[in-house]
Amino acid sequence: MDAKSRDLIITNLLAISAGLVLSGFALIFLGVDPIAVFGNALKTIFTDKYTLGDVFLKATPLIFTALAFAFTFKANLFNIGAQGQFYMGAIVAIAVSLKLDGLIPTGLLLAVVCLLTFIAGGLVGGLIGFLKARFNANEFLVSMMSTYVVLALMNYLLRTFLKESKGEYPQTDALTRAAWIPTLVGGTRLHMGFVLAVLAAVGVWVLLYKTPLGYRIRAVGSNAQAAEMSGINSKRIYITAFFISGALAGLAGFTEVNGVQHMLIQGFNTGIGSAGLGIAILANANPIGIIFASILFGALNVIGNLMGRMPGINIPSSIIELMQGCVMIFVIISYYARSYMDNRREKSKLKKVEES
Amino acid sequence: MSVPFFELQGISKYFARVIANKDISFSIRRGEVLALLGENGAGKSTIMKILYGLYKADEGRILMDGKEQKITSPKDAMKLGVSMIQQHFSLVPAHTVTENIILGNVRGKIDYKKCEEEVEQLAKMYGFDIPVRANVGELDIGVQQKAEILKALYLKANLLIMDEPTAVLTPQESDKLMEFIKNFTAQGNSVVFITHKLKEVMEVADRVIVMRNGRVCGDLKAEDTNDIELSRLMIGKDLVQPERNFDSAKERTVCLSVKNVTVQHKKESPLINNISFDIYQGEVFGIAGVSGNGQEELCQVICGALEAGSGTICLKGKDITKDSIKDRIAHGIGYVPVNRHRDGMISNMTLAENMMLKTSYDRQWLKGGLINENKLAGYAKQAIDDYQIKAPGPDAEVKGLSGGNQQKVILAREVDIGKELLILNQPTRGLDLGAINHIHTIILRERMKGKAILLVSTELSEIFRLCDRIAVMYKGSFMGIYKSEELNTERIGLLMAGYSYDKEAAN
Amino acid sequence: MIINLLNRALLMSTPLLFGALAEVVAERSGMMVTAIEGIFLVGAWGGFVGSYLTGSTTVGILMAMCSGLVVACIYGGITIFMKQHQVVTGTALNILAAGFCTYFQRVIFGVPTSPLKITPLANLPIPFLSGIPVIGPVIFNQNILTYIVYLLIPAVYFMLYRTSIGLTIRSTGENPEAVDVAGISVNKIRFMTVLLAGIMGGLAGSFYSVGYLGMFTSNIIGGRGWIAFAICFLGNWNPRGAVIGTLVFGFAEAISIYMQTIGGGEYFPNEFFIALPYILTIVLTVSRKNFNVPAKLGIPYSKEN
Repeated sequence: MDAKSRDLIITNLLAISAGLVLSGFALIFLGVDPIAVFGNALKTIFTDKYTLGDVFLKATPLIFTALAFAFTFKANLFNIGAQGQFYMGAIVAIAVSLKLDGLIPTGLLLAVVCLLTFIAGGLVGGLIGFLKARFNANEFLVSMMSTYVVLALMNYLLRTFLKESKGEYPQTDALTRAAWIPTLVGGTRLHMGFVLAVLAAVGVWVLLYKTPLGYRIRAVGSNAQAAEMSGINSKRIYITAFFISGALAGLAGFTEVNGVQHMLIQGFNTGIGSAGLGIAILANANPIGIIFASILFGALNVIGNLMGRMPGINIPSSIIELMQGCVMIFVIISYYARSYMDNRREKSKLKKVEES
Repeated sequence: MSVPFFELQGISKYFARVIANKDISFSIRRGEVLALLGENGAGKSTIMKILYGLYKADEGRILMDGKEQKITSPKDAMKLGVSMIQQHFSLVPAHTVTENIILGNVRGKIDYKKCEEEVEQLAKMYGFDIPVRANVGELDIGVQQKAEILKALYLKANLLIMDEPTAVLTPQESDKLMEFIKNFTAQGNSVVFITHKLKEVMEVADRVIVMRNGRVCGDLKAEDTNDIELSRLMIGKDLVQPERNFDSAKERTVCLSVKNVTVQHKKESPLINNISFDIYQGEVFGIAGVSGNGQEELCQVICGALEAGSGTICLKGKDITKDSIKDRIAHGIGYVPVNRHRDGMISNMTLAENMMLKTSYDRQWLKGGLINENKLAGYAKQAIDDYQIKAPGPDAEVKGLSGGNQQKVILAREVDIGKELLILNQPTRGLDLGAINHIHTIILRERMKGKAILLVSTELSEIFRLCDRIAVMYKGSFMGIYKSEELNTERIGLLMAGYSYDKEAAN
Repeated sequence: MIINLLNRALLMSTPLLFGALAEVVAERSGMMVTAIEGIFLVGAWGGFVGSYLTGSTTVGILMAMCSGLVVACIYGGITIFMKQHQVVTGTALNILAAGFCTYFQRVIFGVPTSPLKITPLANLPIPFLSGIPVIGPVIFNQNILTYIVYLLIPAVYFMLYRTSIGLTIRSTGENPEAVDVAGISVNKIRFMTVLLAGIMGGLAGSFYSVGYLGMFTSNIIGGRGWIAFAICFLGNWNPRGAVIGTLVFGFAEAISIYMQTIGGGEYFPNEFFIALPYILTIVLTVSRKNFNVPAKLGIPYSKEN
């Protein structure tokens, strides 16, 4: 293994550890022994099938939102609206599922819902891309604001049209089993959506690195000017990239509604947008790396939840965000550390050549 | 022997992937004009940036009047009376001339009126005609350079370092600059003049330091040497120039026909003003002129990046005026842009990927919906061999290649695409002599194949060596189209400055 | 009633203006402070904690400024000296700030049975001036933070356009090489403007907890740091544009709150009014042309090109 790859693995491991250690210190403030608690949580994950399944369950939507951000990132665009596109996908998923629940066979229902959530998220993304292409609007701001707008829409719908038959809470009715995504591993909550996520990641990798469209997206992302001068229509690329990006985030709506919640309620998965962004960063926008980084974040999520349920100690769920944030900061610093070490190595190579 | 003004002893500077300077030692005397001669990449700018405090030397020391100095920032250098005028002006285009000159030299509240008056006085003193209240971005390049010089003089510099100052000037403006240098040094000041042009060295320098590959390989008095010796020191060997085979008066078919093309943005003066010309197959058509007079826009209009407001462009009889860039690539127009990093290549991508930059829509690279990587790699390898590109292989990132090799990649791609017409905008800018020579050979080879070639260049030697006909561009118009034999440096210089030489001849 | 609305508009504009002015100065030097949302949040939290524990709003506000400064320090260190990507770093810090504030709120205060409250800043009507018909009660009957912001507007304008440091800051954003060549450290200038953004952003955040609501919740900022960020952009990177932009948003927010309180839900769903500032941002972002974006915004500076 060459020096660069070795550096990559070591620094990433160090960064993740450093992040966890730092958040471990936060636990001390609560009078909790971080090593014991972490150890306990890790043991549970590796011994209890249900908990382990939950790690991959939590990772699933993260893979989608991370892919969403990474995809546009390759085109040098910023889709900060993955959360909103996810909500849109979720709205479409529940609305269509409720309507078709029991009317058509499960397989067909899931296929239709999957496709429609893909398109719904894609349309939101595509709209943002269109605004960027046509008006040169700052997509960073537009996409960020779009999340708040879609959230308001979702809350409105939950209060009115999508409201449950009982009429008590702002949430929808539950789906019957006929609209559930089948379980992947018996005895866990883990559903086939995880497979879909992994396939999506592989698909994105192939698209970006092996097809002419992916090539053009990366070209526009690296140097839009040179791409334009070479006959590539960067405006069309913006719209395409944003559509696919939004569509990926929309699929998270499908997996979460039909696979986990089986209904739509407020305040669920509120952080997968920004977590997805963080994961994309960790993985340096590499689709395969995103799978692993999502599993890591899924694990952090589960650890945080386990800690919250440990008897006697009251660890708030915000420890999850704290851990994620710390890990992210250290990984960013590790980028710097790697380029510094690389420069030092090259310089000393040069000096050796000179002296010989 | 008197103590030299400044002395560099054993200076070395290592960057991550290159040794920029190795054991550099020489001195600068008061009242002398010292030329720092060398090819692009020889390390001339780096050593002067160390003297000016922009870089820190890894080894060696600097002495002024015999005493060692610690120069850690330009502020230290300026205190010692050293001032440097960068090759790419370090001016803020959005700010006025005055604001640029006082940057870093005022404290607290700015009294703009007083500063403007000061700057105006200074300009008058040196005979510079500069509008001190104008935004730098709106000024001609020659005037911008004067603003840069004025900035140095404002700080009462005794040692003026100029990095390739004549790169953007007409021959006449260069002469004026040389005059300024002579006057400046006559007052006891010193000038270090970084250049790669032998002619300038012989014209104005008292002494010459020749650098090659980061080392000093010659320290001579100008009067003791000549062109040939300096050239040999610069490149380390003798250069064989390509044979120019100019047989005339053959049957000529028009390849490119440009008629009455104008490009104008709203109320500004036209970027391209009613230009008409033809290029024949098997001809190299040169466009001379100081850059910024519409050359880049003309190239862009022909390759499709810029829309013509009026007029027509025909390629082999077919009207392509409204065609997109993609279509024109398919018609066989190749374009090597002046700004290769910005317009011509994608630094992060591999050599092979850059080879398909213009043909990504083409079926030739597709195999079952995916990119045919083997075919692309083979194509790239072929280019590496044909053009002697120094690269580890088709998978090398182009940003790791030297400037000359990057340009060769672009050239390889464009020569293949440009089956009918090849547009080259300053193709040898910033390259070393070996690479320049090689590119000239390629241009003449393509000419022999019968392609029409449009060559834009600011290097007159290149224009004269390669072109059959020459047009001189000034402020968006052609000052005339001449056969190569009809022009010489003096005449071209006048044309480049906007003087129609018929008028001059009438005097 | 209109007067009340206008008064509120100015009130809600205050934190946005602190943030927008800070962002303008920083972006003029080439730095996008994408951690602004996190800075607002730690400012709100620090302000609340300081006020609650010491009983003094002044201490609270000082703590808010310090908290913002700390976050800005980390942000500046990573983006300027380690030359890392600004959007990426800002996002990481925003997530970290959110986790940190919520977590330590719990650590310090546990789970309270009823929300903790502090007395928010009182209005200080300026004698005589607040008596002027119409504009008196609108402009001169505000709290101390709003008065500070009034003074800040001409101060920032003066600094940016009439002083040497202002010229240097603006040059840094347009062509950092020009500044480098003049012997001034580009990184130091940028770091300074980022720290300033930290202080002013922290102050802005404290407005929400200490100045207005009198309590702290984890989504008290709710994207308003980003709105300040957007205002800098929409206001064309100058103080005057920032003021106009802020007033527009402050007004939109005041209307939004007003409509919700009077139950405008008859004509428009409440959610619409909640979404109003964000929709407004989108519309303005799309229709805005003619940008004077600092030429080198967002690009880390390194000498070896």
